[in-house]
Amino acid sequence: MKLLSKITLYTTLSKTVIVLLFILLLPGIVKDVTSQYTNYILKEQKKKVLDNIQKKGIDYYFEGDSSYGSYTLLKEEFIALETVRDHSPADSIFTDSRIVENDTLTYRLLDYTFEYKNKNYLLEIGKTVSAIDQYNRPLQKVALYTLAGLIFFTLILDLMFTRLLLRPLNLIITSKILNRKFPFKETILPVKTSTTDFKFLDQSLIDLASKIKETFEKEKEFTSNASHELMTPISILQNKMENVMMDQELTEMSREKVVGMLSILNRLKKIVRSLLLISRIENDQYVKTDEIKPYFLVEEVLNELKDRIELRKIRIVQSLSQYIVLTHLNRDLIFQLIYNLINNAIRYNHDEGEIEITDQIINNESYVIHIKDTGVGIRAHELETIFDRFKKAVNESGEGYGLGLSIVKSIAQYHDIRITVQSEYGKGSTFSIHFPKLLTFAGT
Amino acid sequence: MNVLIVEDEKSMALEMEFFLKKAGYLCDLAFTGKQARQMMSDHPFDFLLLDLGLPDQDGLEVLKDAKKNCPETSYIILTARGDLEDRIKGLDLGADDYLPKPFSLLELQSRMQAITRRKSGLNDSVVPLGDFMVDLNKRTVLFNGEEIELSRREFDLLSYLMLHKNRPLTRAQLSDHVWGDFSEDDYDSNFIDVHIKNIRKKMMAYASVEWLQTVRGTGYKIKI
Repeated sequence: MKLLSKITLYTTLSKTVIVLLFILLLPGIVKDVTSQYTNYILKEQKKKVLDNIQKKGIDYYFEGDSSYGSYTLLKEEFIALETVRDHSPADSIFTDSRIVENDTLTYRLLDYTFEYKNKNYLLEIGKTVSAIDQYNRPLQKVALYTLAGLIFFTLILDLMFTRLLLRPLNLIITSKILNRKFPFKETILPVKTSTTDFKFLDQSLIDLASKIKETFEKEKEFTSNASHELMTPISILQNKMENVMMDQELTEMSREKVVGMLSILNRLKKIVRSLLLISRIENDQYVKTDEIKPYFLVEEVLNELKDRIELRKIRIVQSLSQYIVLTHLNRDLIFQLIYNLINNAIRYNHDEGEIEITDQIINNESYVIHIKDTGVGIRAHELETIFDRFKKAVNESGEGYGLGLSIVKSIAQYHDIRITVQSEYGKGSTFSIHFPKLLTFAGT
Repeated sequence: MNVLIVEDEKSMALEMEFFLKKAGYLCDLAFTGKQARQMMSDHPFDFLLLDLGLPDQDGLEVLKDAKKNCPETSYIILTARGDLEDRIKGLDLGADDYLPKPFSLLELQSRMQAITRRKSGLNDSVVPLGDFMVDLNKRTVLFNGEEIELSRREFDLLSYLMLHKNRPLTRAQLSDHVWGDFSEDDYDSNFIDVHIKNIRKKMMAYASVEWLQTVRGTGYKIKI
């Protein structure tokens, strides 16, 4: 999941949870607030009454009577003042029912006893619970709507801001990772951002890519130089040995030794040559401007290998279309690629085996040549490494695949060709050459 | 035939000289481009073996001027550079052949012989081999005028052994000549054996092929 989606999801969820929690807690909170507010009102009223008594005397209320009572029109509030005989001190707020003019109503009540001029009085102030509650609902509604509105507003703001914040990250990913191809030849400018983490990430990726590029260049240069420098001494050695071989006086044993040395030198020569070829390919030293008709190229390769095919009594089935033309290729390299693959198909085949060369156009897009042999096959765990330089998969006869497939790989990469292998050990292998769309069109 | 070897690597030049002298060529050595120009103006050569990587000048420049002054000379470019471009440039400038280093001296001689044959026309291209006649230009083997069918590679092998007659050639040397850049050591050596077997079989039907000998531990030779 993308970071932006994750953050979006997280913010939305967390805000939803807050709203739900608030809805859950709201009645309690509102009730608590109103009840505290009621208590406060009741106490204020008590203070007022006591104030009046203090200033104007108890008769201000009693007017000669022994008790006082007053209530509002709908009996939502009342005040009662009376003399009590025993002075049991009380100062509490509680909920209880009272009968006012035959109506039993539940009140929030404040009881307070006090002494005034040697007489004990009880003051009771009440407010109906329903009157208190009637404010609850609208209060809750208003609170809820306000909160929901605010949450929605912040959510939108958050998402917009995260999007803005994460934009450099997206740019870094597309410009530095997705759109780049090994070996990172083109230089790319840093992404503009004020976020230091992104700056750091971006710079690190730029540094990393240039380091990879540099190392790659160095390796290429080294391979190329080393190969050139090695060729001269190899050349001298070979010629010296050839001259020694000419010596008529040479004993049979000495000659055999020289033959051995020559054959080892030969191996060295082949390795250096292959490395040189690979490094030249990787150095873009070949132009890709040739047009190739694969049918005729394969025929040419088969003709070149005719002797080997006949000697091994291998049956060749070639059913390529004669009308396919491939463009933007280097003919010599493609020849070598197909040569190496068919040569391997012969080499690792059984005597009187078969090689089937077929082609296929997939989804009108890519053109594929399959080279299928009935040879020794490749073990599953070796399939991944057969194209690696010097990683030698060894078959039954102890021979390695050598650098032939590395050359195939280099040539393929150079042309954006994909090579796939299917193999069943002991039954044979199929190498498939996938030419990308750009290269193919059917001509006549 | 006189040959001018232009090669700055002294020990390499000496080996070439040693080999070509034994093969009957007269050799002179030049280690720089300047030396080469000087010697060529002194007297003409039949062959110029030219290394491209000279210390003082570009071998291709030497070739360009030499070609102008001595058009009769045959030119073979020898180089470790091995770039395709050099090869094309060299051949465009009129070189007769191009051998990338490292090359076999046997191959060099074979190329020189081919150039000589090409330039001298058809005159001496038919050579006796035991009871057979070998036509190097038409690439055929004849017995009493009857053609014996050899494959392309079988003929390549036979003619290479003939050129270096009385010298044992290794399987690797043979396969290098026959397969060139595409040869693979051990694997191809087996094919050489099969090819030799086939040559013997095909020719033995007509006459003895005792001259085609197996040299134990080495390879094959033609003894005449």
